[in-house]
Amino acid sequence: MSLHIEILPAANGSQRVVLTGRLDTHTYEDLDEKLAPLLNKNLQSLVLDLAALEYISSAGIRSIFKARKALGGHGGKVLVVNPQAQIQKVFDMVKAVPMNEIFSSTAEADAYLFAMQRKVLQGDEED
Amino acid sequence: MLIRLIVPGEHARVEDLNTSLEAVLTRHGIDAGVRGDVRLIVEELASNAIAYGGVDGNGMGQHELSVNIAIAGDLLTLEFRDEGAPFDPLSTAPPNLEADIMDRPIGGLGLYLIRQIAEETHYRRIDDANLLRVCLRIATPETLS
Repeated sequence: MSLHIEILPAANGSQRVVLTGRLDTHTYEDLDEKLAPLLNKNLQSLVLDLAALEYISSAGIRSIFKARKALGGHGGKVLVVNPQAQIQKVFDMVKAVPMNEIFSSTAEADAYLFAMQRKVLQGDEED
Repeated sequence: MLIRLIVPGEHARVEDLNTSLEAVLTRHGIDAGVRGDVRLIVEELASNAIAYGGVDGNGMGQHELSVNIAIAGDLLTLEFRDEGAPFDPLSTAPPNLEADIMDRPIGGLGLYLIRQIAEETHYRRIDDANLLRVCLRIATPETLS
């Protein structure tokens, strides 16, 4: 089984990517390649929808770390939505993503992003 | 039960090994959670052996990687054997999980994951081969009821 990567239209500095299948030694390079052009300074949040991802290995964690580092340089974040049991287990073991950046639904992640954006806007007004 | 599978040391064949293992485990009623653990262990070990297992520390070329599986009571035991350079995968330093993401390396987590998942691990170097035993706890009919 391979990995299917669906890149949804970006909006407000946020980009959602839906992963289906397995993110492992055989597929992580595809993901790196597809994410690379998206990980620029204008991107504040990459939302990885993992509801249909069945399996991840350390090769997949490597891709996620690359994205976290690329965005972290300008204060951006990688948010994770709906990781399945095997993936949550691996995430926990290596602390791949902070707990408060993992969400159980896209609605929850959207609410978090909305709150984050409002905070940024309020910050701008105070300057 | 004991099965022995051998694949040449190349990435493309690791999937073949995992597909065969998955079929055997499913046939023996091993649940999806443990099957996922086995897949992960095989992938991490094989990737590591293929990348670093050569005599000069480089790729291991056509060396073979074999695995024995045994199920006894509530333990599933995997025994891996490869003829690459001596290497104890249990000897690597654990990663610093608390560091900031900007300071963390992107790799070096595979062998750590094996140690975390396994109930028990044991390494030996015998007859010019690396032997690694990894035990996983499985649900038995008694523990399920």
